[in-house]
Order: sequence, then C-alpha cells, then structure tokens
Amino acid sequence: MDLEELAARLRSEIGADAVLTDRQQRRTYECDGLAHYKVMPAIVVLPRTTEHVVAVVRACIDADVPYVARGSGTGLSGGALPHADGVLVVTSQMRAIKEIDAPNQLAVVEPGAINLQVTRAATPLGYYYAPDPSSQQICSIGGNVAENSGGAHCLKYGFTTNHVWGVELVAPDAEVIRLGGKAPDPPGYDLLGAFVGSEGTLGIATEVTARLMRTPEAVRTLLAAFKSTDEAGGAVSAIIGAGVIPAAIEMMDALAIEAAEAAVHCNYPRGAGAVLIVELDGPGVEVEAQFAQVEAHCQDNSAFEIRIAADDAERALFWKGRKSAFAAVGRISPDYIVQDGVIPRTALPDVLRRIAELSGSSGVRVANVFHAGDGNLHPLVLFDASVPGQAEDAEEVSAAILDLCIEYGGSITGEHGVGMDKAKYMSRMFTDDDLDTMQLLRCAFDPSNLSNPGKIFPTPRLCGEVPGRHKGAHPLQKSGLAEVF
Amino acid sequence: MASDATLDGLRKVCDDRARPADDTDTVLGVPARYVVAPTSTEEAAEVLRLASQHGLRIVARGAGTKLDWGTPLANVDLILDTSLISGVVEHAAGDLVVVVRAGTTVETLQSTLAEAGQQLALDTPEPASTIGGTVASNTSGPRRLLYGTLRDLVIGITFVRADGVVAKAGGKVVKNVAGYDFAKLLTGSYGTLGLITQVAFRLHPLPAARRVVTTEVTGAEEAGRVVAAVFGSQVVPTALEVDQPADGPLTVAVVLEGTEQGVAGREATTAELLADAAVSDHVPPWFGAYPFASGQTGLKLTTEIAGLPRLLTAVRDAAGRHGLPIATRGSAVGVLYAALPATAAPQTVAAVVQDLRAAANSYSGSVVVLTAPAEVRDRVDMWGPVPGLDLMRRIKDQLDPEQRLAPGRFVGGI
Amino acid sequence: MTSNPSPVDASHGTLGAGGPQDVPAPTGTPAFDDHHPPSAELAADCVHCGFCLPTCPTYMLWGEEMDSPRGRIYLMQQGLEGEPMSDSMVGHFDACLGCMACVTACPSGVQYDNLIEATRAQVERRHQRPADDRLLRAAIFALFPYPRRLRLLRGPLKAYQRSGLQRLVQRSGLLERLAPPLAAMEALAPPMGKSERLPERVPAVGQRRAVVGLLTGCVQGEFFPEVNAATARVLAAEGCDVVIPNNQGCCGALSVHNGREAEAIVFAKRTIDVFEAADVETVVVNAAGCGSSMKEYAELLCDDPAYAERASRFASSVRDISELLDSLGPVAPRHPFPVTVAYHDACHLAHAQGVRAQPRALLAAIPELEVREIADPEICCGSAGVYNLLNPEPARELGDRKARNVLATGADLLVTANPGCLMQVAASARRLGESIALAHTVQVLDASIRGLQPDTFEAARRQPNPSITR
Repeated sequence: MDLEELAARLRSEIGADAVLTDRQQRRTYECDGLAHYKVMPAIVVLPRTTEHVVAVVRACIDADVPYVARGSGTGLSGGALPHADGVLVVTSQMRAIKEIDAPNQLAVVEPGAINLQVTRAATPLGYYYAPDPSSQQICSIGGNVAENSGGAHCLKYGFTTNHVWGVELVAPDAEVIRLGGKAPDPPGYDLLGAFVGSEGTLGIATEVTARLMRTPEAVRTLLAAFKSTDEAGGAVSAIIGAGVIPAAIEMMDALAIEAAEAAVHCNYPRGAGAVLIVELDGPGVEVEAQFAQVEAHCQDNSAFEIRIAADDAERALFWKGRKSAFAAVGRISPDYIVQDGVIPRTALPDVLRRIAELSGSSGVRVANVFHAGDGNLHPLVLFDASVPGQAEDAEEVSAAILDLCIEYGGSITGEHGVGMDKAKYMSRMFTDDDLDTMQLLRCAFDPSNLSNPGKIFPTPRLCGEVPGRHKGAHPLQKSGLAEVF
Repeated sequence: MASDATLDGLRKVCDDRARPADDTDTVLGVPARYVVAPTSTEEAAEVLRLASQHGLRIVARGAGTKLDWGTPLANVDLILDTSLISGVVEHAAGDLVVVVRAGTTVETLQSTLAEAGQQLALDTPEPASTIGGTVASNTSGPRRLLYGTLRDLVIGITFVRADGVVAKAGGKVVKNVAGYDFAKLLTGSYGTLGLITQVAFRLHPLPAARRVVTTEVTGAEEAGRVVAAVFGSQVVPTALEVDQPADGPLTVAVVLEGTEQGVAGREATTAELLADAAVSDHVPPWFGAYPFASGQTGLKLTTEIAGLPRLLTAVRDAAGRHGLPIATRGSAVGVLYAALPATAAPQTVAAVVQDLRAAANSYSGSVVVLTAPAEVRDRVDMWGPVPGLDLMRRIKDQLDPEQRLAPGRFVGGI
Repeated sequence: MTSNPSPVDASHGTLGAGGPQDVPAPTGTPAFDDHHPPSAELAADCVHCGFCLPTCPTYMLWGEEMDSPRGRIYLMQQGLEGEPMSDSMVGHFDACLGCMACVTACPSGVQYDNLIEATRAQVERRHQRPADDRLLRAAIFALFPYPRRLRLLRGPLKAYQRSGLQRLVQRSGLLERLAPPLAAMEALAPPMGKSERLPERVPAVGQRRAVVGLLTGCVQGEFFPEVNAATARVLAAEGCDVVIPNNQGCCGALSVHNGREAEAIVFAKRTIDVFEAADVETVVVNAAGCGSSMKEYAELLCDDPAYAERASRFASSVRDISELLDSLGPVAPRHPFPVTVAYHDACHLAHAQGVRAQPRALLAAIPELEVREIADPEICCGSAGVYNLLNPEPARELGDRKARNVLATGADLLVTANPGCLMQVAASARRLGESIALAHTVQVLDASIRGLQPDTFEAARRQPNPSITR
C-alpha cells in the first residue's frame, strides 16, 4: 500500500475531514514546541474517537508506515516530530473532559484535553490536577502522559506518573488495552508505570484517568531576591535541610529575569542576581508555621528583598515571570536551546559555576531557569541562527551542560523527555546493556517499530523473534545500521 | 541429584556462599536444589550467567518474609539469597535521596535515615524484610495515602537479567524521565523479570509531630461518612485507616503529621469531624499490620475510594453468608487486606473470594489472594482476572525468554 | 502527498536546519508580493510554544493547527518562502477573527496583529474569491462604513421588526436556508430606538478640564445612538467640552481589519482631516474596534509623506472613553446603581488596546454596583467586526458559548464597550431562549451620574419592541 492508498483508506474509515494531505496544511504540523527540528508528515489525521485511532493504527500496520502521536504540539524534545513517510496522529479533537468524579477524586479525560482545563473543571468541586508544566494552559494530558511531564509543583506532589491511575491505549498491535483505572494497585506488572513517560513509543493513550487533589486550604507564595545564585542556592538548601518540602521552589538568574521582565513585566526586584519563588500549600495552620521558617532561611542567606504575595493576583504575577520564561527568552535572543538536565540539588552551586565558565569561555550566553527544589535545570542557551557558527557553538555548550549533569550523577532530562533531541545523549547516561534492556520492553509492545520510531534511543534496534532469535539477518542488520539482540 | 558441576560453578563464583539446599530452603513449599548468596551485583550477575548456562530456575530470597506469597512454582533449582548484597551505598541527605543495596533490611535503612531526620515514607508490616523483597512484592502501608506506594518512591533501579546482563534504569535524582521506567515495571514483579540488586529512593523528612485521631463507628456506612468528611476537609492526613475486626466495632484512624503547631490545629479540626474521637501520640496496635498471620489466607482487595464502605459491607456479608470470621483493615485510598482463618475449607475460601471479586469489580477494584495454605492455593484462582495479561506475557518473554525467573509465581502463570 | 517517500530520518534532524527536508520547491506564483508582505522578521519571533492556542477562538472550535495563530504564522512563513496563495491558505487566514487574544497571550511578543493585517491586504489584492463571496463582501463594505446608508436601512428594519415577520422568518429558518450571511445580519439587527442627533459641541459642566473630539462611528452612531449621547453627557459632566464634527465618517476599522487597505487609507485620511480641523487635544472613541484601528493610523499611513507624521500625532491623541475617564478621575458625583454587571472584554479594547482595568475600575467605583467576571474572558464572542456576517457558523458557535458564560454569571446587565459584541451576545442569548439587559460602560456611568433607576436597562429586556431609554 502506498501513501496515497493509505490516505484513501483513512478517509473512508475516519472521514475525509479528519485526514489532511494538503501540503501547506501538513507543513503546519512539521514541528512541535522544539521548532528547530522539522519534518513534514506525509499524512495528518485528526481522530475523534478511540475507534478512529484503532483504524489509523491498523491501517499503518497494514501499510507498514510509522506513526507519531501528537497532542498540542508543545513538547520540548521533539517527541512529536513527524516522519516524512509517516502518519501524524493529532489528538487535539479528542479533548473532552468526560468525567470529574469528585467522590473518587478522579477525572476521566480524552488525551487531547488541556491540562489546565482539567483543573478548571475540577475547581468548583474543590479539586485540582496537580502536575503543572509551564505550558499547562495548552499542553494536553495525552502529551503529559507520554512525556511524564512535571512542573513547578512536582517537588511536593510528584509527576504525571504519580497522578495517572488509568489509561486506555491503542497498542501498536491496534488492540485497545486498559491499564489501571479508578482503583489503586491493579494486579500484574505495572504496565501503566512503564507506559507513562514512554514518549509515544508504546502506543497511543486514548483515555486517561487522573487523580485529583483537594484544592489546598492555604497557599502562600514568597519572592526572594538575592545578589547571586549561590546565595539563593544556599537558601534552598537551608529550607530543605530544615525538613520543609514546599510545593515549589523556583529559581531564575539575572538573564532569565531580564527576559521575563521584557516579556511580561513581572516587576521582580531590581538588581537581583537570582530570584527564588517559594510556594507553600496545605492546611492553613501548617503553612503558616512553615512559611515563617522559609522567610527566615531566605533572610539568613542574604535575600535583599522578600515579597509575599498579598493576593491571587500578586501570586499570579510572581508566577507569570517564571512560567513565561522560556518563550520570553525570545525577547532577548532570536534563537535558543532549552536544556532540561537534572543534578543532585546540593550540586547546584558547583554546576552553576561551571555553566558560567562554559558560557564565559565559549561566548555563548546562558540564561538559567530551574526547579531548584529538585535540581532540574533549564539552562536556556542563546544564539542567533542567522550568524554562521552560532548554532553549532550553542549546541556544543548545550551538550557540555548535559555532560556536567551526568558527571554529577544526574540526568539528561527531568521532564521534557528524550524525544528526538536527546536520543544522542542517552548512551552517555546509560550503558548499551541498559538501553538494550529498555528496548526489550519496546519489542514487547511494538515489535514492528512503527509507534514513534527514532525517538528515545540513539540506535535503531530490531526486535528478534522469541525464543530462538537467530533467523536470517535483516537488511538493516547486514548493512550495520541496526542490530538484533 | 545435584549436578556437582553446577555446584562447583556456583562455588567458583561465591565460594562457600554456594551450597546445596536443605529442608528449609523451599519456596511456597517447593524445595530448591542450591542456595547461593552473592555479595554484589557483579557476583549476582555471574551467578545468573551460570544459571543461564545450566538452565537453572531461580527464585530470589531476601529475608524470606514472603516466600509463601504468590502461586506455587513447578520447580526451583536455585535460591538466590540477596541478604549479603546489603548496605547503604549513598545517603545524600541534602538531596533527600538514598541508594541502597537490595539485601538491606527496611529497618536498617530506616534507622540509618532517621539519624539524618529522614525516612523512606513507607510502612513496613514486616520490618525485617529486605528492600529487594519489599520492592518486588510492592508492599505498602497506611501512609501510602499521602506518600503513594513504592512506585512513587523508587527513582532508580539496578537489576540483573535472566541472562546475567546487568541493567539499570532511572538514576539517583528525583526528577528524571530519561528512558523507560523499569523501576516501576520491576516494582511488584515478584522476581519474574530480573534480580533487583540496588534501588534508589526519594526520601522525606521525618515529621516533627504526629497525632492519631481514632473513633469507633457503628458500621461501614458510618465509616464511609467519616472517611468522606476527612477527605472533604483540609486536614490532609498522612494516613486514613479503617479496621474491621471479624467481630467487634469498626475503627477509623486518622494520622496527622507535620509541625507541632500545625498538627495541633489539624487535630482539633479532625476531632470535630469525628464523633467521640480519641487523640493519641501513638498509632493503635493494629495499625499498618496485615490482619492475616502466617498460615492463614490473606487477601488484598481494592476499590475506588467511594466504594470503600460498600466493600467493607460486602466482606461482612460474605463472612456471614459463608460462616467465616474475616478481619479486614486497610487504607481509605481503596486498599483493604483481609484475613481468613487457616482452618477455613478451601471451597469456602474460594466461594468467599468469588463473592468479593464480584463486589470489588463493581467498584473498579480487584481481589488478589496474597497468601494461602497449600490446599487453598490449589483450589482458588489466586490472582483473578488481569487486564493486559497478553502484554505482560510478551514482556516476560522478552526479558526472560526461557522462563527461569520464579516461573509460575506471578499472574497468569508468568 | 509525497509521491516518493524519503527514508525515515528523524534521527538526523539538525539544529538550525531551515525548512523541512522533503518539501519540493513550490511551483506557481508566491503568495505575497513586495508591497508590505507580512514581515519575515516578525514571523520569526514566533518560537512555536503554543501559548496562543487556547485563546484562539478558531482553535478552540476546530482544534486544528492551521486555524491557530501559530499555524497561521506558519502559513505566512510558507508564503514568504514561495508557497502559492492557495484557497486553503486563504481559508485559514479568513477564518481568523482578528480578536488579537493571541497577542495578549504571547510571551514572545509576536506582533500577530501586524502580521495578519499585512497578510489580509495581500489576500484582498492577490486572491480571487468565489463570486458569491465577492458579492457579499462588496455589499458589506458598500453599507457598513457609510452612516448615511445605514440610516436608510433603519426604516425597513424597524418595520420588519414591528410586523412580527421577524419571528416568523426566524422560526421557519427560511432566510437561513436562502442565504446564511443575510440571516446572520438579520439576527444581529438590534431593536431600533429613536434616532437622536447630537449637537456639534457639548459644553463642559462646571469647570472645563479638557476639550475632546468624539468619534460617533458608523454602527455605533446608527444602531446605538444613545451610546454616543451618553458618552457626550458623561464627558461633559466630567468637565470636558465635547466636539462632535458632523462631517465625520467611517474611521476605516472594518476595512483595515479586512485587508481593504486602499479604502481604509481614504477613511483614515478623512478622519484625521476632520479632527485636526476640530482642533481638539484628544479624540475619544467609544467603539473598541474603531479605537484600535485609529491608534494604528501611523502604520497604515506610513508610506504617505503628507500624512505619515500627522497620522502618528493623531494616533497618539486617540483614547478609549474608559481610558480618558479613568485618567481624568471623577468629578461628577455617582449615585448608587444597585445592579450586578457582567463585564465583557471587547477584543479590540482588551487585546488590541490593552484596556482592561479602566472600565472595571470605573464600574466598580459606582456605589452599590457589583462587577462579575465572565468565564473564559479572553475568548472572542464571535462578532469581530463583520466576521459574523462573513463566517456565520463559527461566529454563532462562539456567540452561543459567550452567551452561556454571560448568563452563568447571573448578572442583571451585560456591559461591554463595543456595539458588535452587544449585538452578538444578545442574538445568541435570544437563540438560547434567554435574554439579558445590555449596556455600554459609558451608559452605566451616565445612569449613575444622572441618578437613574437600576431598571433603566432592564426595560430593554421586557418590552417586546424595546428601546434603550433614558
């Protein structure tokens, strides 16, 4: 079956208006939130139901065509980068919030449902959905599940994987499988745990059952300005060391503050070399007790200004600067790379110093925004693609930062996912055996390697038959491009 | 019977820590042939490579507290004793992270962490059990309400595959999405996918203060009302437990942890929600313990949160219908453990399990028989229906194609 | 569709790579010519973060990338790279309401307003629309920007409303089958009030604090004359001499927002001429769409040496009525006006002019008046100038959503600063079998200053053939 035939089959099965083949239309889907990777998909489909997704996957299997799922297209690792001869499965029309089940503290949503909309729907009943990526106003729950998205508040509340209790997915064999549901601890392997964060390589989620949390009684937010990131880092250590786990501790350095200021006029204290946003939530009495400690630790670490949000509006303004930071960097640099490395939090001062050295020696500017509480760095490596050589320099600095993260025992990605962008770094963090083992899981789910191939893993692998994996060599194997294991 | 070549090979790796099995070296009543106790991941890997060459079927054993859990295996050749792969590798207190070897006992780990004012936020019904066994069996307790279960605490894992290859996933930072989450996949896998040798956990500070508010309620329905009231309030309990003894009144316990000042305020609010509340600094004696003892039938029942009172009622009803005393206890998050007497007739246990499965199913839940006397095991479907079983088999086939790791102990005969 | 699919090469994406790897060089005429195409530089400001998507009405309706701001910028970039102006491309540009919610939402500061206006001008000049569409557009632009022609239409509409024919037609859906756009226009037609003539000068009450010109607008002037009357009274009460040149015409907003550049330029020049002659410090506007385009005269007339500088000076003298009143501060005492008000942000006020706080502050300062917020305030009501005439279906869907959100506030009165929004939401409320009293912000202020009864606007709802009376 060629792609024309595939498109015709898809049109007849899921409706002509759900299949895009116009070149100009397809091109608008050629990248996700990581716009420097672009591949125009051969076909874009916009399914409306699980049955549509099944039909698409089945058709792709029959045509031996790869497919990639995409939600709102806000991913920052190129996880939803299409295949030139593949199908892009866009879930933006499967966006219903099917159920807010307050007695069971759960929401049941379609994969295209927007993260923040889930919270909005639950708020009147006194609940919210905790994981809050900076793109929460537009990112989809399906995308969150694929990437195991975090957010500022995951320091206390955990990541998507800690909040998803059930998933209905269309597996790469086109079967519909339900993992978990409204009750905890389903028997058997934790397939849900494996699926969440698998970046679309193990199937397409078509329904998600997510845990809702009680809207906290009290939220107190403080903005502390320091002369340096070292001082701010000291305050973070002191807070955590005192046994306080805030809902969030976020740090921005001077360059990131400059960008945010230009974009959203957040009016952070002038002259700050670093600002911390610390948020506590929970029972009012508990929050009051801990808030005093947090304030004291900031003062002890030479905060030169501390602001306490007087109301929701001020709190929102504190956060606006932080949450807009990535895109805001567009104001101070034509192009930039966002990294997502993680380090043990206590290594923060060391690593920041070394990032500054890297920046100094290469002349590449780096703005730092991070989830300081859990050591998740978001260095924004700035460059101008129109100046020859700058992109390469930026890429080099960016890679060196990831090496630093690995050197300090951290990770190459804390929440954005490996996707397309960081697949090449995976072998710096994991051994071949580690990666081979992970690919065994993939082989169990997707032996024909059609579900978002080319992501996560640096080298394509072929799934051998089990048992007795030693049949004739695959052409890719013969040519040395892939290996069977 | 014992192939000396096999034993010799094992001794080459582990010296006198390899030996022929004795009468006590059984798993679910099935006798093993050898026991080997490696001291490191590398040694364990060598053992597994050797076992692969000799086609040995392997069961990992930590403290041996759950050797009567799961479905019986057809054969066991080798018990791999992990108790010597022990010790805390790294406790990064400032990062709230610990890396620990699998044979370390939970109580050892907790006391090490406590020195730094930290904890692995996990209740340990059997404090002597090892970290590896705890992860493999996905043990959880009352405080899961706030902290989640092991899957929410494990951040990295090192394990040895059936073919002796050492693999790791995750890392030692709390936030990390690089690669597939094998730590979760192995949690609760009953040793059927690989031998866990090292685990990294995220930690929590030990709370400064704790208060336990308990109340006796008239029955499951009232327990449901109390639970809903606590959930609807803003007291944010660490644990919310119900205890329904085989006879006698039902108790609800609310555990509040935090700062001294904060706990005092929350305690007052909680006491207002609960009629005739008693407040204590200590948890009740039954708290966090399984209701079943060795030799009895132990069940794990799950339900959606709102189904809890109805499931408690279903247990009472089944007990009455079948004339069996059934003690039940568990977390309001929707997990109950139940104990059936050791003397109960297998067919009666089977009938009770069937009734309870029907009830749990209607509240999205399931019933697993964790442990049971041999006669009962033969008679009941221990795991019940498992969605996604085909996929689970395919995973097993990929990681252990020769089916040598605890074969048959897990769901669907895996 | 690629006929010869290239091998999957996702693993070799390169940083900074220009276009997609498999796109053949476009054939045919490139979409844009050299006369003010959308700026490639401005388009490149978009970092593809997607923050604009949830605020975009068409993305909210259809969930398709091409009908989002991010996707439309992508289409513009394709055009700049040489892609032809296809029907589908134009369709996606046309579907944009121009509400500018995306401009507010964008953290990177992308000037989508600028981009889409440039694009629309190119589309109007370079794209051949289907005959019926051309006809409709011609009719609209021959009617709306001309107050005198609108005035002529009032008689027949009034008779038509009185006759009860309106209900019959609505019920049968006859018009809707025959010509959806006409049906849309009919449904939006507001109840006719008495027409009211304003003098050329209304003197300040008490001490004079400013001399301001007042733009009366086309639709505002002809369909909502009482809003202009209220504006003049409030301004006077607050110490302004109000100059209302009677030779003023359309400000060109509808034209400029629809790419009719040449026409817009004529209107803009005339408006500048008229108000320069009137010799006022400030030009006050009470229609959001007019205000936003007048503030952009500098860009519109930048190529005209005779007007460029004057346009820039004029643009900086333009104020929305709420901006001016807020900055002047009150002198006229407010009487209690005990109503609950749902304040609706007109897109061209909130997004295009950034005026959100001032109208709320003015309303909130009225004793006993309560302001309620409407859910999803950033989403357009679907009126969007003449959008509802050109694209009745999405406009209706958006109107119905907005009306539901407005009704959900339980407020007595819907207040906004644009005649189009009022008509749109009223029509949707009617369709939902509900009704809500309507008023412009300045009418509420007027009512409070004059000490009118709180049911002043309520009356409009109850009367079968209502007029907003004072």
